[in-house]
Amino acid sequence: MNKLKVGVVYGSRSTEHDISVVTAIASIIKPLELSGKYEVVPIYIDKQGFWYSDPKLKDIALFSSGEIDNWLKHNRPVQLGIGDGLSLIKPGIAKKPLKIDVVFPATHGTHGEDGELMGLLEMANVAYVGCNMPSSALAMDKALAKIVAQESGIASTKYVWFYARDFSDNAAKVLNSLAHLRYPLFVKPVHLGSSIAITRVKSEAELKNAIEVAAHYDNKVIVEEEVQNLIEATVPIMGNDKLMPALVEQPVTHGDDFFDFETKYMAGGKKGKGGKTNGSQGYSRLPADLPKDLMVKAEQTALGVYKALGCSGIARIDLLVDTKANQVYFNEVNPLPGSLYAHNWRAAGKSNVELVDELVKLALDKYAQQQKLSTVFATNYLKQY
Amino acid sequence: MLRQLLSIYSPKFPATIVYMLQSCEYHPGPYFKWLWRTKDFSLVAHRRHLDKTAYAKMLLAGLSLGIAIEILIGLGLVVYGINAAQIWLSFYGGALVVIYPLVWSHLVVVPLELGRLYIVEPRNQRQIDAAKPLFADHPGARIAVAGSYGKTTMKEVLNTVLSQGLGVAATKANLNVLIEHAKFARSLNGQEDALIIEYGEGAPGDIAKFYDLTKPTYAVITGLAPAHLDRYKTMQAAGEDIFSLADLLHHKNVYVNQESQAAIKFIKPSDQTYGIFGAADWKAKNIRISLDGIAFDLVKGKKTINLKSRLLGRHQVGVLSVAAVIGLALGLSEEQIQAGIAHTAPFEHRMQPYNLGGAWIIDDTYNGNIEGIKAGTELLGELKTAKRKIYVTPGLVEQGSETARVHELMGEYIAKSNPDVVVLMNNSTTRYIQKGLTRSGYAKELVLENDPLKFYANLEQFVAKGDLVLMQNDWPDNYA
Repeated sequence: MNKLKVGVVYGSRSTEHDISVVTAIASIIKPLELSGKYEVVPIYIDKQGFWYSDPKLKDIALFSSGEIDNWLKHNRPVQLGIGDGLSLIKPGIAKKPLKIDVVFPATHGTHGEDGELMGLLEMANVAYVGCNMPSSALAMDKALAKIVAQESGIASTKYVWFYARDFSDNAAKVLNSLAHLRYPLFVKPVHLGSSIAITRVKSEAELKNAIEVAAHYDNKVIVEEEVQNLIEATVPIMGNDKLMPALVEQPVTHGDDFFDFETKYMAGGKKGKGGKTNGSQGYSRLPADLPKDLMVKAEQTALGVYKALGCSGIARIDLLVDTKANQVYFNEVNPLPGSLYAHNWRAAGKSNVELVDELVKLALDKYAQQQKLSTVFATNYLKQY
Repeated sequence: MLRQLLSIYSPKFPATIVYMLQSCEYHPGPYFKWLWRTKDFSLVAHRRHLDKTAYAKMLLAGLSLGIAIEILIGLGLVVYGINAAQIWLSFYGGALVVIYPLVWSHLVVVPLELGRLYIVEPRNQRQIDAAKPLFADHPGARIAVAGSYGKTTMKEVLNTVLSQGLGVAATKANLNVLIEHAKFARSLNGQEDALIIEYGEGAPGDIAKFYDLTKPTYAVITGLAPAHLDRYKTMQAAGEDIFSLADLLHHKNVYVNQESQAAIKFIKPSDQTYGIFGAADWKAKNIRISLDGIAFDLVKGKKTINLKSRLLGRHQVGVLSVAAVIGLALGLSEEQIQAGIAHTAPFEHRMQPYNLGGAWIIDDTYNGNIEGIKAGTELLGELKTAKRKIYVTPGLVEQGSETARVHELMGEYIAKSNPDVVVLMNNSTTRYIQKGLTRSGYAKELVLENDPLKFYANLEQFVAKGDLVLMQNDWPDNYA
């Protein structure tokens, strides 16, 4: 019996390219293969945006050794066939397309997690894992996500967003619009994940520089107030209609630091301040050290955000908890959590193999539901011409 | 097919042959069985690789030289035949070149057997003869541990308990045959209070030879199960050999595991027994089982000894009880017994628990007999705290004509423990286990895994917090 072909897409033109490679190979391809149920096809998008597919791309050593650059020089990209599903057409004389049954996106950040890839997959009419194009686009725009969540009655901290060009055209006007916000503030690029280019500022003197840093990475910037008596919390959620949260997790920060890229991903953790030596989400408390009522509130808030943004498959909702005011604020959504947050799912009782297997099933369910929708509407409109 | 054929002409083929011999402990029988059933020699060394001991290196060098000579002669004949216009010589030379893997994979055994017959065995016999008085004149108690299974655990438990108050020496690891006993005797200083000698019987008459050398004063028979049936042929023959130890000791100071169903018919009234009930006239009561170990009270009349061990499983109650009883017989105090039992802990790969990312794994991969399977599955059924129970096994080896019956029984034991998932390593025994599972109405998830090594190496990918995984037995390359 032919196994279902699952194409795992990773890399892409994104500041989170490297994280995507690790997510794909360690947390998706490996358990998918171990399940024994799927034929896994690696689909790597290089930093220039060319697509490649080859079994060798399943080997993390190819990337960690830097040999990938040499490999790319000696191999040609694949072409994509879209229409009745997604096909990969390998270069060469015998161009027999390889049809992919399900796509498992593992792309983080721009050109992948932000809805662009999902748009392509929708056009190709192929089943794919995770959030669809609109919810991905919403989730990856921190400003829009807050607006949509607020409309559903979900609290978030005070914020102001603006285009980077507005700031370069008239910095004084933008700074003036931020005057009502109470310091300390967080300045963030609106579309980037993995805490890249986020700065915490304590005074107006630091603010301008922080905005310039964020504007260097993104065309849209958000400035928001810091939550007092803060405990950060994050909740991975899985499901389409019937939602299943994993455990409420507490990223552990030091003093007035925050959970930035270095803390999250680099070996040794935050600037060599000791603690766990493993990178990749090594700094966290699982489950979060929160009173029961706040745990419940955090989980409910996360589920509310997931629904409000129309997420499906999997997403991770980041929250800010004011422990004295007993208030939970929505912070942001990560529609494709790094490494799928598999460590949290394992602690919640779901093995890596079960996790990816269920995500593929959810993708197929979602696809089946979509196929029931009619895309044809008969009219006489053309006859009048 | 072509790859399989070409694998015998691989430059690695000689090393593969030596690896196969080494894995079979240089015994021609199992080596030839393995050789003749192997189709692709490139896949043989899957789990391990050749351990380049001096002996293995010498054998590999000799084998490579022999192959090289045969190829050179063959090629020489081909060339000579062409030059001399004697095609039959060329044909003969070509045939020599082609058949060298076949020739040398068999011929390699000849020097081994000659060496065994004319060098190793006479040398071993001299060492054995020299060791006889060392045992016979030794002033300490000599405890023989025999049986089809559980010997190493029994030996280690005895060693741990008796060491609380006595000077004890025990045979190491699985070094349990005559020549190892002789080496053990040479290592003694003659001042030990007790010697513990594991018997590695594997063929009719072995026990008598072991007895003749070691002259035990105590014996523990751990049980009888299908094992080494390739040489014993029947369970009756195995039982007769193992229980000849009791006869040789005139049934005095002999302790037999009464939990072993197959052993019961060999037990004589004057033998002492042990089991879940306790040992001899000491009764085990108030038994508590958990993943942390077992606790129970050993009671005789008004005396009670509270015992606690980190060993896992109800079946260990008998093992611990008999160790306590022998300890008391050799003069240990009750406090020393308590302390000794408290020091007992799981041994590597024998009901050894460890945590893997929040899941509990019980590593019982050195368990290779049906009684051990029964004990492990009973423990799995008994532990109630797991969210999900997973049972993993490839089945058992060397079950001879009992293979079908034993594996069907194994399926029944597994079904009784009611795991949520059963993972069977796909091999010749799988269908029998499946039959046993089906017969017992097992209806939960069954997974057939084709690559055991991949499964074990990636176990953390299959488990999550709250899981309890019992892994029983593992097959080395020569059985896979």
